[in-house]
Amino acid sequence: MTRSGEPLLRVRELAVEFSTERGPVRAIDGVSFDVLPGETLGVVGESGCGKSVTALSILGLIPSPPGRIAGGSIRLQGRELVGLPERDYRHLRGKEVSMIFQEPMTALNPVLTVATQMTDVLMRHQGMSRRQARRRAIEMLELVEIPSPEKRIDDYPHQMSGGMRQRVMIAMALSCNPRLLLADEPTTALDVTTQAQVLEEMVRLQQKLGTSVVLVTHDLGVVAESCHRAVVMYAGRIVEEAPVEELFEHPRHPYTEGLLQSIPRIREEKLPELPTIPGSVPDLLELPPGCRFADRCYKADDRCRQQEPELELRCDIAVACFHPNRYAGCPES
Amino acid sequence: MKPLLQVRNLRKHFPVRGGFFRRVTGWLKAVDGVSFDLPRGQTFGLVGESGCGKSTLGRAILRLHEPTGGRVLLDGTDITALERRALTRQRRHMQIIFQDPYASLSPRRTILQTLLEPMEVHRLGTPESRREKVLELLHIVGLGPEVLHRYPHEFSGGQRQRIGIARALTLDPKFIVADEAVSALDVSVQSQVLNLIARLQRELGISFLFISHDLAVVQHISDQVGVMYLGRLVETAPTDELYRDPRHPYTRALLSAIPVPDPKWRSRRILLQGEIPSPLHPPPGCPFHTRCPEAMPVCRREMPDWRPIKEGGIPHRVACHLY
Repeated sequence: MTRSGEPLLRVRELAVEFSTERGPVRAIDGVSFDVLPGETLGVVGESGCGKSVTALSILGLIPSPPGRIAGGSIRLQGRELVGLPERDYRHLRGKEVSMIFQEPMTALNPVLTVATQMTDVLMRHQGMSRRQARRRAIEMLELVEIPSPEKRIDDYPHQMSGGMRQRVMIAMALSCNPRLLLADEPTTALDVTTQAQVLEEMVRLQQKLGTSVVLVTHDLGVVAESCHRAVVMYAGRIVEEAPVEELFEHPRHPYTEGLLQSIPRIREEKLPELPTIPGSVPDLLELPPGCRFADRCYKADDRCRQQEPELELRCDIAVACFHPNRYAGCPES
Repeated sequence: MKPLLQVRNLRKHFPVRGGFFRRVTGWLKAVDGVSFDLPRGQTFGLVGESGCGKSTLGRAILRLHEPTGGRVLLDGTDITALERRALTRQRRHMQIIFQDPYASLSPRRTILQTLLEPMEVHRLGTPESRREKVLELLHIVGLGPEVLHRYPHEFSGGQRQRIGIARALTLDPKFIVADEAVSALDVSVQSQVLNLIARLQRELGISFLFISHDLAVVQHISDQVGVMYLGRLVETAPTDELYRDPRHPYTRALLSAIPVPDPKWRSRRILLQGEIPSPLHPPPGCPFHTRCPEAMPVCRREMPDWRPIKEGGIPHRVACHLY
């Protein structure tokens, strides 16, 4: 099975570099993936793997200096975004691409009411009058199930709870019908019961509005429940990309395999020991010459320590590994 | 055998001040009548969402927050009744591990200095034996002698947490409170540290109060689990039983809300309405009734009793009008 259709977002060989006291460091290096219309792509990995940097670079939000896009291309509906002047980006953000962050309090302006913040966006991008914009904003708040939205819209962000603020962020992000929504750990700061509500909301709206979503998260449970496909990142590179059912059932890359095993999950029987991945993530400034995961990998051999494996695509599944797990159902090329 | 730790009707209320003269305008009942037993060498997992009072409870047990009422007995000693000097002496038996070891390790001290300090303060051993002890502890937590003269910033999060654990062990405590001790760690490292804690409990016979918002982590590490909501325990049970047969509607909702890392798993999720009420203005009756899918008229009026529904070595207790 292959995915058909023109991708909405096409990222190719993307590299982002930051200058640090100890020299330049590549936060991501050679990242490539597609997002189809209406698709939710999970970008998953542990801290420092480059998943947030990937999302920020799509929005042109890499702080520069110290950061810069050092190579590659990001095309949204065929239009190149790398090198786009800030003026054009500003027109794009909120209208065609919008973003939800982990902590809505940092993304919402604390001195403006929700109404002001939501109507500003609508007036600017959709050319609505203030009255039209307010009506639309209330509709959006209703859609994310904020109780009595016509009253709550005049609240300041601090008057709302964390879960409510995150819903406002979602409403705001979707108010201009963007084609692409970038969500960076949107539920990480929330409690489980609130997280369940907000995730459900996001999936429902995504299906209703047909928005494509890039969901950045460290939580494989969130990926399993809300994404169609997922990209697994490790130390600045994609190590595996697959449809979620395939990824969870047949992880090809030893890192994906280890990650899936070591998530604490509720089990029928308690295990005597949790499976672990030995060691820790390498320092991006002192990367090993070969595969970045080799040091922690139970399959690593001399070749892995000398040569870096490329991401290879076979029947809709991409893996960067010399010794991937093999499963039936995928013809070897 | 008597339990190592007995907590009885423990309460911690914080005054809320407001107005021009900063007068006390109300009380925040962060912990409001909590009782449980922790047998020797076992782990009590305490779960709940943010603001439920689980961290305050951990601190009140250690008297890092002075309790408002109730009693804490550690090995027969009433911790709540001790005066200052006696409390300091008792402190060596009870330690705490924090979520962010970076914030709890002094950035200007080497690992050696950090680990020697508690023994120096309590005047234990000789300089040689202390140093030996430090090396032994590092070995236990999986670090080598090369770390002795390094500073906290030179370590990764997982390594820093190992150092935090080693420090908690310097005085051979009987009881450790681990407050979200693995929550800031990435999964691959989190499981390493969890295994380490489980091993310490087994090999050194230390009892843990393991506080976490993550029910899966708690299941793995605990012998019994307590679920907290708005300053009270709503259910406690042996771990297997709590996960197999949760009784309180809140426990059920919590368990069903966890995202499951399996795309084929179809959830029968109990979505709770609304959010946790403010602990400043807890609802009357059962504190959970505003969100409970099974709330009855009585729940709005009366606080349910804290009653055992199954006796045994570790009883299964629930505070709910359904039982």
